[in-house]
Amino acid sequence: MAAQTGASTAASAEPGGLATLAGNVGASFLDIAETTGGMTILLARIVARTIPPRVDGRELLKNLYKMGVKSLPIVAVTALFTGAIMVIQAAAIVKRYGAEGLLGWGAGFGTLREIAPLLTALMISGRVGANNTAELGTMVVTEQLDALRVLAIDPISFLIAPRFISIVSTLFMMTLFADALALFGAAYTGQALLGVSPTTFYNGLTGGLLGFGDVATGLVKSVVFGFVIGLASCHFGLATKGGAPGVGRAVNSTVMASAAGVFVLDYLTSFALGG
Amino acid sequence: MSNAANTGDRQTEPVPPPLEDLGAVGQLGAAAIDLLIGGRELYSVFVRTLYYVARGRKEKGALLKQMYEIGNRSVFFLSVTMGFLGMILVYQAGLQSKRVVPDFTLLGATYLELLVRDFAASLGALMLATRVGAGIAAEIGSMVVTEQIDALRMCAADPIDFLIKPRFLASLIMTTVLIVWAGTVAFVAGGLTAYFAFDVPLRTFFSMQMVDFGDVATGLAKCIAYGAAIPIVSGYCGLSTFGGSEGVGWATTRAVVNTSLAIIILNFFISGAGFLIFPG
Repeated sequence: MAAQTGASTAASAEPGGLATLAGNVGASFLDIAETTGGMTILLARIVARTIPPRVDGRELLKNLYKMGVKSLPIVAVTALFTGAIMVIQAAAIVKRYGAEGLLGWGAGFGTLREIAPLLTALMISGRVGANNTAELGTMVVTEQLDALRVLAIDPISFLIAPRFISIVSTLFMMTLFADALALFGAAYTGQALLGVSPTTFYNGLTGGLLGFGDVATGLVKSVVFGFVIGLASCHFGLATKGGAPGVGRAVNSTVMASAAGVFVLDYLTSFALGG
Repeated sequence: MSNAANTGDRQTEPVPPPLEDLGAVGQLGAAAIDLLIGGRELYSVFVRTLYYVARGRKEKGALLKQMYEIGNRSVFFLSVTMGFLGMILVYQAGLQSKRVVPDFTLLGATYLELLVRDFAASLGALMLATRVGAGIAAEIGSMVVTEQIDALRMCAADPIDFLIKPRFLASLIMTTVLIVWAGTVAFVAGGLTAYFAFDVPLRTFFSMQMVDFGDVATGLAKCIAYGAAIPIVSGYCGLSTFGGSEGVGWATTRAVVNTSLAIIILNFFISGAGFLIFPG
């Protein structure tokens, strides 16, 4: 500890802003590499506990209820408003070209492929991921994890694996809900704002321009996002140190890592799945 | 258990039963009352912040420090996320228009219009809500838990004047600045994606022909609304922290969720108003 602080003061005492800048950039790259590596190792550990399954069943059910069922209201509100916003954004273009039949397709394409999975992931990352980090972080800070180890209970299969599985499945199911509710909200906003009847909206949605592929793309994305959010929240929760402020910092880094990971992987998944 | 004993002793003073015993309607009512109380307290924080902005004490350096904390330290995070977002949006929009009319001449102009009117502000603000909002709530929450806020009150200093006001002003300025930057990053990233994925010349893509006054006004209104909402909502969540280190975690979680919800709901109303005021 003392040696570290000594080294850092020596480094900052050296002249030249450029060297400090390069040092900072390098440090943040090392930081990112460390986080990614930690998350990968955690994933390997979780996978090792699922084949053959050695996951605590009661804990899994409890977490599924707490993360899945309890997130429903917030996902519903987000989805309804998101659908409405998508229609408002499409409205100007629809009005300009008078293509009311295309409203369902226009709003549906963006919602199903991109916006519904993305916003659901952001909300779940805030509600479930951050919460999970806070819980795990508190357990680490109050040494409950060490107590588990003393009792010869494997913290990964008792605490981490159930949470990880719950987060992934929650996000998948919530994206299904969000897809449906966002289209519902979009259909009725279209009626209120543009006078496009919901029937026209649904016809535009199912008229052949949209297929199962679009829905599937969104759902594949939701699983990928679930992996990122689950891994980030468990990783930062386990890496918490330093009392109450430490828990706050851990939650903060979880939300940031989840958001950045979701966006980066969103792009890569879109590209990999192509048209 | 103590609740049950109370109701047995004194019938006149109604003690609310625990949440599980309420039934569906009762739970809905309890949630509504909670929402109402939360809304009122949020409003009170907002009004007091505005009061202190006008009448509060002047502290040199606090505003600059918060501007650095909120603004400069978010630039990297925001640039990365919004850059990827720009690439995704253009890629998806390109795929979409390929199916209907394989004509990419208006891709850039339409994209810029949507970016100015909505996506830059809303998605950028959602990113800021996670970074800045969680940071504010964690910081203030730790202060509450370690009783520093009580110490402030003991010194007759309102924590809103001391803590929320500088964050409010800094966020108001820096959110606008950061969102303009985020929009630029997203647009350039989108332009490069269009060039490499769909062979759209950059000169065609970088076109401002569809951006009009209404779009800019809506976008700026959103920047200001989000800039005000982020510190107020997350500051309120931080101030209402209770319990030890777990409480700080809860406060941070609530800050992220509530700030994101506030942004989505504000977006709905401002977008709707923008569409009605500037149609077409």
